[in-house]
Amino acid sequence: MRGKPLIIVGALIAIAAIAGVFVIALNLVSQQGARPKPGTPAPDFTLMLYPGYRAGLPEQIRLSDLRGNVVVMNFWASWCVECAKEADALEAVYRRYKDRGVVFLGVDYLDTEAPALAYLKQYNVTYPNGLDVQQHIARAYRITGVPETFFIDRDGIVREVIVAPLTEAQLTAKIEMLLAE
Amino acid sequence: MLRLASHILFLLHQLIRESHPRSRTLCFTGLALALIVLGIGRPTAAQLPAPDEATYRIAKQLNCPTCAGRNLADCPTETCAQWKAEIKAQLDAGKSAQEVLDYFQARFGTTVLQEPPKTGVTAPLWAAPVGAALVFLVAAGVVMWRTAGRNRAVSLASAGRSEDPFVAALEDEVRRDE
Repeated sequence: MRGKPLIIVGALIAIAAIAGVFVIALNLVSQQGARPKPGTPAPDFTLMLYPGYRAGLPEQIRLSDLRGNVVVMNFWASWCVECAKEADALEAVYRRYKDRGVVFLGVDYLDTEAPALAYLKQYNVTYPNGLDVQQHIARAYRITGVPETFFIDRDGIVREVIVAPLTEAQLTAKIEMLLAE
Repeated sequence: MLRLASHILFLLHQLIRESHPRSRTLCFTGLALALIVLGIGRPTAAQLPAPDEATYRIAKQLNCPTCAGRNLADCPTETCAQWKAEIKAQLDAGKSAQEVLDYFQARFGTTVLQEPPKTGVTAPLWAAPVGAALVFLVAAGVVMWRTAGRNRAVSLASAGRSEDPFVAALEDEVRRDE
């Protein structure tokens, strides 16, 4: 009979330990956030822009500071083969719309500075670009890889997410739709 | 290498103490050789790891950012090639291994490390197996102690009892009457 309380205490400790590990795991998962669905507010973030890739914006830019503009946020990386396929299209469309209330933001994912800057130079990119330090933005938007592009309207609402390289025609159509609203 | 040389020195010392004078010469030769080994074993500037080796060692402590669970050093992807190039560039610039690791951690988070830090939210995960092992050991100890006590009590109770069932029954009868 004396053994029973010991067994109960042991079982309680084991349950508490399992529950503790479970809570920690849940916490780690929740830190990643959920992918914002079209129609929901775009999670706010701060992006430190690369020198030479600020296009008149401050060194640190907050997404909420861009309210009133259509934002095309593109996740990319210098090692990403698919990203290179849409690099020219992004730059061309950016140049066409940069003075019409459209802001392009390049979010560099899991990259090191030298290859990232070499990539931007290679594709003549001029729109604002910066590194996603510690992948905070990628986690907030729960991207599954690169490239991924989020279209955010003037009110800061995510309107569309494209998980593939974009063409000029696609970019133009989506931006025109948001500008027309 | 140093440990091996120390063992050799110790063995030679034992031999010298217990050997004949003729074989002592041999032992002293061995001693001299061990000293040479000790000398060779010391790191010299010429023996410091080459930059690529140092890069490899640091890369071994990092995760591939794109392949889940894969070591950076062993991963052939373009991303990892770039990261290894970055490690080499930083080492060539005079940064220490720790500074390079700190750079990657600051830039990409703790998930980039093969061995996450034993602080913060991950600390309980490191402590949990130790705690579980301790709980198991204590529980096992208690169970063994209790089982041993019970066996002792049974053996004491059955001590002196005859192996013959008729005699044993008779003895039990007598005990009851007492």
